[in-house]
Amino acid sequence: MKINNRLIRRNSRKGVLSYLYFILPALIIVGVVLVFPIIYSVVLSFFNWAQVDDGRRAFIGFQNYFDLFKDKQFWNSLSLQLGFIFIAIPIQLVIGFFVAILFNREFPAAGLLRTLLLLPVFTLPVLSGLTWRLMLQPGYGVISYLLEIVGFDASRGILSDSGLAYIAVIVQDIWRMWPFMFMILYAGLKSLPADIMEAAELDGANFFKKTFLITIPMLKQTITTAILLRTIDALRIFSEVFVMTNGGPGNATMLYSLYIHKQAFEFGKLGYASSMAVILIIVSLLFAFGLVRKNMDIDTL
Amino acid sequence: MAKMRRKRAITKWILFTIALIIVAVELFPIFIIISSGFKKDLDIRNSNPFSFNPNLTSYKRVLGKSDFLPSIKNSLIVGLSSTAISLLVGAMASYGISRFRFKGRKVVSYSFLVSRMVPQIALAVPLFMLFDSLAMTDSYISLILAYTSFNIPYVIWLLLPFFSSISYSFEEAARVDGCNRIQIFWKIFLPLTAPGLMVAAIFAFIMSWNEFIYALVLTGTSTKTAPISVNGFLGQYAPRWGQLAAAGTIILIPVIIFTLTLQKYIIGGLTAGGVKE
Amino acid sequence: MKKLLVVLFLALLCLTAFGATNIKVLAWDDAHTQAWVANLKDFEKATGIKVDLELIPSGSMLQKTSLNVTENKANYDLVAIDEGNVAKFGDLLVPYSKWPEGKTFKKISTTEIPQAIFEAALWKGEIQGIPINGNVYVWITRKDLVEDPQFKKEFMEMFGYELRVPETLDQLANMAEFFKTKGIYGWAPFTKNTEGATCEAIMFFEAFGTHFMEDVDGKYVITLDKEKALEAILFYKRLMQYAPPGANDMGHAERIAAFSDGKVFSMFQWPGIIPSHENEDESLVVGKIEYTAPPAGPSARAAVRGCWILGIPKASTNAAAAAEFAYWLNSYDAGIKLAEDGMTPVRTDLLTNPVLLETNPWYEGMADSGLFAVSRPNRAVFYPEISEQIKVNWLAAVLGTVDPVTAINNMVDQVQALLDKYEN
Repeated sequence: MKINNRLIRRNSRKGVLSYLYFILPALIIVGVVLVFPIIYSVVLSFFNWAQVDDGRRAFIGFQNYFDLFKDKQFWNSLSLQLGFIFIAIPIQLVIGFFVAILFNREFPAAGLLRTLLLLPVFTLPVLSGLTWRLMLQPGYGVISYLLEIVGFDASRGILSDSGLAYIAVIVQDIWRMWPFMFMILYAGLKSLPADIMEAAELDGANFFKKTFLITIPMLKQTITTAILLRTIDALRIFSEVFVMTNGGPGNATMLYSLYIHKQAFEFGKLGYASSMAVILIIVSLLFAFGLVRKNMDIDTL
Repeated sequence: MAKMRRKRAITKWILFTIALIIVAVELFPIFIIISSGFKKDLDIRNSNPFSFNPNLTSYKRVLGKSDFLPSIKNSLIVGLSSTAISLLVGAMASYGISRFRFKGRKVVSYSFLVSRMVPQIALAVPLFMLFDSLAMTDSYISLILAYTSFNIPYVIWLLLPFFSSISYSFEEAARVDGCNRIQIFWKIFLPLTAPGLMVAAIFAFIMSWNEFIYALVLTGTSTKTAPISVNGFLGQYAPRWGQLAAAGTIILIPVIIFTLTLQKYIIGGLTAGGVKE
Repeated sequence: MKKLLVVLFLALLCLTAFGATNIKVLAWDDAHTQAWVANLKDFEKATGIKVDLELIPSGSMLQKTSLNVTENKANYDLVAIDEGNVAKFGDLLVPYSKWPEGKTFKKISTTEIPQAIFEAALWKGEIQGIPINGNVYVWITRKDLVEDPQFKKEFMEMFGYELRVPETLDQLANMAEFFKTKGIYGWAPFTKNTEGATCEAIMFFEAFGTHFMEDVDGKYVITLDKEKALEAILFYKRLMQYAPPGANDMGHAERIAAFSDGKVFSMFQWPGIIPSHENEDESLVVGKIEYTAPPAGPSARAAVRGCWILGIPKASTNAAAAAEFAYWLNSYDAGIKLAEDGMTPVRTDLLTNPVLLETNPWYEGMADSGLFAVSRPNRAVFYPEISEQIKVNWLAAVLGTVDPVTAINNMVDQVQALLDKYEN
């Protein structure tokens, strides 16, 4: 449904004043607490700016960016972050999709169960990270315990193994956010015209045919919205990983925002950290435009 | 025919079972949090995870900590205020954009997306410097305003398709009756959009409730919020898992209440609003 | 110009000494500072100064301090600063020599706290604050395991000398090997990618006879003996075999838990954390610990110093009141009560006080360790980056992801690059 096709009001001078009445409060507040810091960060990225003035604060143009490209840890963080996105999000999507299809049918207590599924999404991210950390502790953590029973040697500690810690971080996010995908996809499914679905059933289409040839194409916009929203948030992920591994072991889970945090607050290099933030904005924009251009009209966002 | 009915009944129960298993597995970590709250820190570290010697020691310790309950109070104050402001301001802006033909709609959509693209870590420092220069750190207002920075765009974005789908007829009727735009908004339009407003309010509140980074940077002793308090249980002492779990469970309570009682609004709101073709 | 500022500040100090005041103090949160919380009322009653004490996780201290203390403003009147960050804030603090004499509590001098500990606050030739914990590596060992007759017998059979608290690193390795066969982890490392790992590196380098960097005329010069460094790393790797699970990423929380749960035989610990090992609510090994200086490497015993100091920002307007609080914390009488509540004293007379030693036996370990204190090369503003290169390469070497020789070379090269960048 395109908003453009709605009734359009005529302009009038009074209209302008009314318009401003409605828009201005938001514009002012957002201007101060959102736009200003963003601009500040962008500007800061062109400076060498130590948190504690060491006499070297100065405008240095693109030097931060050049240093970034030479920084091995930057590339490590970036690739860890992208790997995280490309693994976690598709999995969340698939799980969310099939569970949404399941819940699209009627069965007892569906409403209650559906609601319970949403809990992880709304849980404190810090709590989620810490809970997974507890569950993965060697010896007394539930997951380590269960893994030992099936013969997997978790005694060295999952979170202290580079590869396994990375997987654990991804699993934590999948756990927390696949219900988010579910939520959006379910709402999308529910709003699909029922007559088309019934027609397909009468035509004898089996489950898979129906899903892949009809349902998914009709849900394209919804799916894209879900992926877009999730990706943009996932690119910034911080608290859960911070409390779960603090970037460790070594730098094995030093995702992008964690490295920004390290540069800004451990080394105090605010200009450098800001340039990393700018790069992230650019990457996000690339994702957004890539997804949007292919699959949706920005208006329906 | 009876066979069909029985088959359908069996199918329903099969579906139910599958759904139940999925929910049970998914909620397992939450079960761990809740049950761990009823164990002592030392016990958790030294016994297998399925042992259960329930006691209230951890809860007592958490509630006895002088800064925990105040931090919940702070989270409530900040969350409710930020939600209220964002809802108000956001609804107004959303109305303006959806009802007036002036340019702004695309800009809003884009700016909403862009605002979500900026890592909060990066914004935390300029925000701090802003509030610090106004001597406003460690005050509720600074955190409330900081939260509106992500809540307002979210509310606007969430409400836009919602508002756009409401028929013009009510407002037209009121216009005929001689009301001006502003009166129409407050007296007629808003009441019509209650479900959408509820959804937006819930999401805004929960995002504020769970927020960590800005709280870390902008709060001090008197405005410390719940997430900061929970994080404090893992410090330079042996991990206090029991207390952490107890604190975490307490913090989960409003979330659970909100989610359970308002779930139909959440799904309903998304159906009517955000994701239609 | 600087002199004028200082004089102005003295004037301000005198003025502020007369008002009823409120001071804001920022410090890290653990057993040590919780003891302050418990006793604030005494200070407030004695001086009429109200204290707004903010305690936050130590990992967040640097960030909070740097945001709140600048040349022109100070949102706190007294801040705790890890000695590694003294270089960052040194210029922003009032030098100790300029602190007032103290009205209710006397100014602390080097007869009460050793000069070597005061030097934790050294910056550009001046002491910039007062040490607030005598933090040096203390070695903790399970004396119940050492005194067990069965273990003694078997150990004698295995190695030919008496089981005891390890005095040398070689003994530690033997004992760790022995206890591994008994299902006890001989030793626990610090391997989290934080400052603690740098401390391990420095301790072992020093124990094997080499300094990493030396201050030559105000500039740092790398003096690492690569062969000795290699020996140190190879020995650490040998010890790692006897470490608990999760040893690849062990930080404070994990080490504390492992030792308090009775799983580890012997390891280092910071004095500020030791009270939690002797706390019945948190530990299974209360009363079973022996405290000594760290075992000696081929070259020496080495106990890394890691004091926190209290500094008064120049921009604070309550300097005199802040100084009173600092003196109170380090005074003798208050110190006895504070120590009973979990604070680790710095004053020598408190560390050797027989009454306190009864309930706080680790003071003896601290006094011993103090004789062997070594410092990290942290008097540079860019120290965090130096530390990063030391620890990243150290960890890569001891965890086996990079071969030790390459790691040592990388460490030296990368630190040298930093020195070239910043010291020119």
